[in-house]
Amino acid sequence: MSEQLVFRSRWFEDIPVGEFHVFGSHTFGEKEIIDFGKRYAPQPYHTDPEAALDTRYRGLVASGWHISAIWMKLMVSYMERFATGVRDGRRNGAGVGFQNMKWIKPVRPGHTLTYTYEIIEKLDKVVRGQWGIIRSRNEAYNQYGELVFTFEIDILAELNPENRS
Amino acid sequence: MQYWQDIPQGQSYRAGPIVLHKKDILEFAAQFDPQPFHLSSEAADESIFGGLCASGWQVCALMMRLLADTLNDNDIQALGSPGVEQLRWLKPVYADDELSADIKVSGKTEHAEYGDLLCEISVFNQDKKCVMSLSSPIMVAFNPAGGQQ
Repeated sequence: MSEQLVFRSRWFEDIPVGEFHVFGSHTFGEKEIIDFGKRYAPQPYHTDPEAALDTRYRGLVASGWHISAIWMKLMVSYMERFATGVRDGRRNGAGVGFQNMKWIKPVRPGHTLTYTYEIIEKLDKVVRGQWGIIRSRNEAYNQYGELVFTFEIDILAELNPENRS
Repeated sequence: MQYWQDIPQGQSYRAGPIVLHKKDILEFAAQFDPQPFHLSSEAADESIFGGLCASGWQVCALMMRLLADTLNDNDIQALGSPGVEQLRWLKPVYADDELSADIKVSGKTEHAEYGDLLCEISVFNQDKKCVMSLSSPIMVAFNPAGGQQ
């Protein structure tokens, strides 16, 4: 059996403000943009490359919610590599909500976004006696280095049992 | 056809319901959010959610569908959205839940080439419990013929 690097998923207390990660990249294909658009955001600029030419986007663009969903996909993949404990579904992962989500520039077929996060705040609030809240700023840059997407999300992280009241 | 000028502050819409089946939850999770509490009933039972539940991003996507259907059904000349000011996931969404959305225009902002409708959106389940709420501006075209603003 080969030796594997195993990190315990971290307690709330162990996660430092200022931690920064570049955690993944994704190239948006025309078909996946259209598939997502037809199912969840049926507007011509998300579903029809021809009709999209006559819209203010001058061509097909990914739904903002597609860009968000890919953030989640890349985050889960990164967390599984970073901390095996995330797989147990208990220590981490439940989102409370987010704010200041901005879709800044169009994401077109063939564009590659690279996603980053930075821990910006640990909220002074305990949920159900067991969870703290980590706030991170998340950004995505396109292949030209332009900021195209940003938001701040609040995610639960389990408190160290030694510190629970 | 409805333009920004045609929609008054305070206007509200009701959309849905959409039924979310277990296979929809598993399919979305496999594609975008493969965490145990979205993929397996056993893992979900032990999680904070207490049962298999939909990804919060799937609830966002379904909200978008309800919003897009509302815009299309009312022939509103929507141009997309610059983002979301705030969103809260308030309750888990489980298999076979029926989701509806209340969409209320709480404000209007005028820009050079289009106007924003600031929308307060609440998504409810079949028990009338609010599972998600958000506020987001929707960009809408001006009436090319001009008119009262």
